[in-house]
Amino acid sequence: MEIRLSCILLAAALLSGCGWFHRGNKAPPEVVAEEPQGEPSIVEPQVPRRVVKTPHIKAKDFELGGYYGALSIQDFGTNPLYGVRAAYHVSEDIFLEGFLARSKAGTTSLEDVFPNITVLSDSGRHFTYYDLDVGYNILPGEIFLGRGRAFNSALYVTVGMGDVKFADKDQFALNFGVGERLLITDWLAIHVDVRDHIFETSLTGRTKNVDNIEATLGLTVFY
Amino acid sequence: MRRLLALVLLVQALHLGLANAAAKNLVLVVTDPYVEMHSGPGRGFPVVYVIGRDELLTVLYSRTDWFKVRGPHGDEGWVRRADLARTLLESGEPAPIPPYPEFASHRWELGAGYGVYNRENLVTAYGDYALTNSLDVELAIQQAFGTIDNRYIASLGMRHTFIPEWKWFSPTAGIGAAYQYIQDKVPPAPLQKSNEMAYVSLGARGFITRRFMWRVDWRHYVVFNDLNVYEDLEEWKFGLAVFF
Repeated sequence: MEIRLSCILLAAALLSGCGWFHRGNKAPPEVVAEEPQGEPSIVEPQVPRRVVKTPHIKAKDFELGGYYGALSIQDFGTNPLYGVRAAYHVSEDIFLEGFLARSKAGTTSLEDVFPNITVLSDSGRHFTYYDLDVGYNILPGEIFLGRGRAFNSALYVTVGMGDVKFADKDQFALNFGVGERLLITDWLAIHVDVRDHIFETSLTGRTKNVDNIEATLGLTVFY
Repeated sequence: MRRLLALVLLVQALHLGLANAAAKNLVLVVTDPYVEMHSGPGRGFPVVYVIGRDELLTVLYSRTDWFKVRGPHGDEGWVRRADLARTLLESGEPAPIPPYPEFASHRWELGAGYGVYNRENLVTAYGDYALTNSLDVELAIQQAFGTIDNRYIASLGMRHTFIPEWKWFSPTAGIGAAYQYIQDKVPPAPLQKSNEMAYVSLGARGFITRRFMWRVDWRHYVVFNDLNVYEDLEEWKFGLAVFF
């Protein structure tokens, strides 16, 4: 009985002691929800916003392709030519175009008559050029093939400049061209071009401007 | 029977694929009385179809200022940018037809041109990124064709446009660093094959049409050499560029 009583008292003392220890601590401030002033609060809807992604319109303003044809190198005969071309269409009229091509010169008349004479070394016969051109579609239109088929086309002129490496030397060259673009589909085009590369050379004795005219057939892809 | 089932499943899958592919294209509602579809992407091509008000058209792709569209009955043709810009999305919002980049605040510029460098013909190609409307970073790759040597020049610099709001003519000034490589054409070989350089430039730029612009630039280069001589070069150039 005594033991039980002492246990109860001990417990009471311990509890009161705890209360003593906690006496110094301030009671936590009561959180009082502020009453809404004026109108009652509106319930915010928790509806997730639907994000609509608008499809992107693909622009097909670039044109990339290759061409093959014949290049008449003044004094060195007419020879096969192959190259690549890339264009950017700025508007329906104007485009910017770059060309990179290679050919190999034949022999001059002098070399044909006198086989012992060599005007150029083998590596010097390579005719390599790059051109940066601006072009203008002067005659856009349609070409009709039979009764029920029409292809979009354009006759264009180009003017530009670049580098011609011939006889192991780089020369500044101007070029003027005219071409026809025939679109088989909206993304595939056939080109027929004639272009003149003009540069100054003194390869055959006196300094002169030489005309090197090419006629080529090309195939390009719009993307 | 299994083959038939497989075929049916394949057809369904293809159909779904096509439906998804079609869903990737932009669909617009015509709000004008009608929109004309031309047979080609140019002002002179004949009008082959007309899409009426409240009808839907699907935009397939664009070429310069023209958009290839498919009408409600599957007919295809080219619609000009200005006409398409007046259509609406099915949700009623304006059609997201991108406008031309503003010339005064464009960011990218790609161009090429002709010039004279050290009294030699020069071909130049450059790219330009605008940090602000009046401050650009310019990278140029150039080739100069002389009688005794060819030079390849690469330069990187900053350029300030004084009044970017002036559309047709705005003066510019810049500074930068450059590197030139000299390839001799005829002997004797140059004493130094390559040099570092620094330059100051004055120039002007102007708008031509749509995304097309011109530039004129004069540069004065100081060549850093080991020859104990002061060497400087002058350059003039004119270029055409496209801006984005």
